[in-house]
Amino acid sequence: MTNKKITVRIQRFNPDTDQKPYLQDFEVELAQGMTILDALHLIKEDLDGSVTFRRSCRHAICGSCAMNVNGQNMLVCETPLREKIDKNGQITIRPLPYLPIIKDLVVDRSSFWAQYQRVKPWLIPPDNVPEKEFRMSAEEVAALNDAEHCIMCGACYSACQVIALNKQYIGPHALLKAFLRVLDPRDADPRARLDDLDKGDGVYRCHTIFNCIDACPKGLNPTKAIETLRKLAMKRQAFEAARKERQKTLDKPVN
Amino acid sequence: MRIFLLQRYTAVALLVFLTIHMVVVHYPPGEIHFSNIADRLENPLWKAIDIAFLFAVLIHALTGAYMVLTDVERFDRFKRALAGIAVIAGVLLFIYGTQTILAF
Repeated sequence: MTNKKITVRIQRFNPDTDQKPYLQDFEVELAQGMTILDALHLIKEDLDGSVTFRRSCRHAICGSCAMNVNGQNMLVCETPLREKIDKNGQITIRPLPYLPIIKDLVVDRSSFWAQYQRVKPWLIPPDNVPEKEFRMSAEEVAALNDAEHCIMCGACYSACQVIALNKQYIGPHALLKAFLRVLDPRDADPRARLDDLDKGDGVYRCHTIFNCIDACPKGLNPTKAIETLRKLAMKRQAFEAARKERQKTLDKPVN
Repeated sequence: MRIFLLQRYTAVALLVFLTIHMVVVHYPPGEIHFSNIADRLENPLWKAIDIAFLFAVLIHALTGAYMVLTDVERFDRFKRALAGIAVIAGVLLFIYGTQTILAF
């Protein structure tokens, strides 16, 4: 018995030779358990070696292979091909939208990383670092709302309609990281972080469209994080005072 | 933050004003006559409500338009000009609208 054949439509663009992007069709045999990334590998190895895309871990943890499939951003390494075939037996793969295309499915993520750097995604430790370890309560960890699970794939960033209009906006990925640091009781400078997020291109630029939630392959909620940051930005003085108080007991066991 | 908050506060105010407006102006009990409306608008309380309604509408609309326009990166360098236009338009429209309300 032969496997069913499907058409994989890939957006191609070579800036050296093409005026604008176009779709190219490839016939692929659908195999059991095949992911979209498997189909791309098959095309690259057997049909056209010039098809260009990013991938690395194949386990939905590196965030390299975020692409736009049938109009929705996702990680192609974890998405079964069978689930995305439309009624015409086709699947359409495009690069992440609103970002400059380098070649085919590879986009330039410079603005994505620049905004990430802007929020200082690292922990700023307090002066009194405990000799052994920081002690956080279960509630404090739960309040981070799994934000540390973000793999920086860019699916939310490129799904955001504000980013489509304005690359100066910090973006959901970096705001989620800022949320992680602001709410972390170990961080010593939430006030400076909130001051920066309170500016014109910060948290108030979000229009709660929820595209970032739809796009996140890890099921995270950047919109809720942005709402939390807005509220904290409004009472940042009190928040800073509470943080200083909390940091006095960071080395003590918590209930 | 101030613009964002202004828009949110006026949104809440508009919920109240719009409800009053729809019930009293569009779906009042009985028939709608010019004389009824003129009588109502003569009342200083209605004048105050309508002026406050006008104020909330203008703030909400102009801050909204300003925020939507400044979302577009290429308008970033015109931020001050846009804010200036919004303030001037707001003041002129408020004077014009208030005159209409006070005419009764």
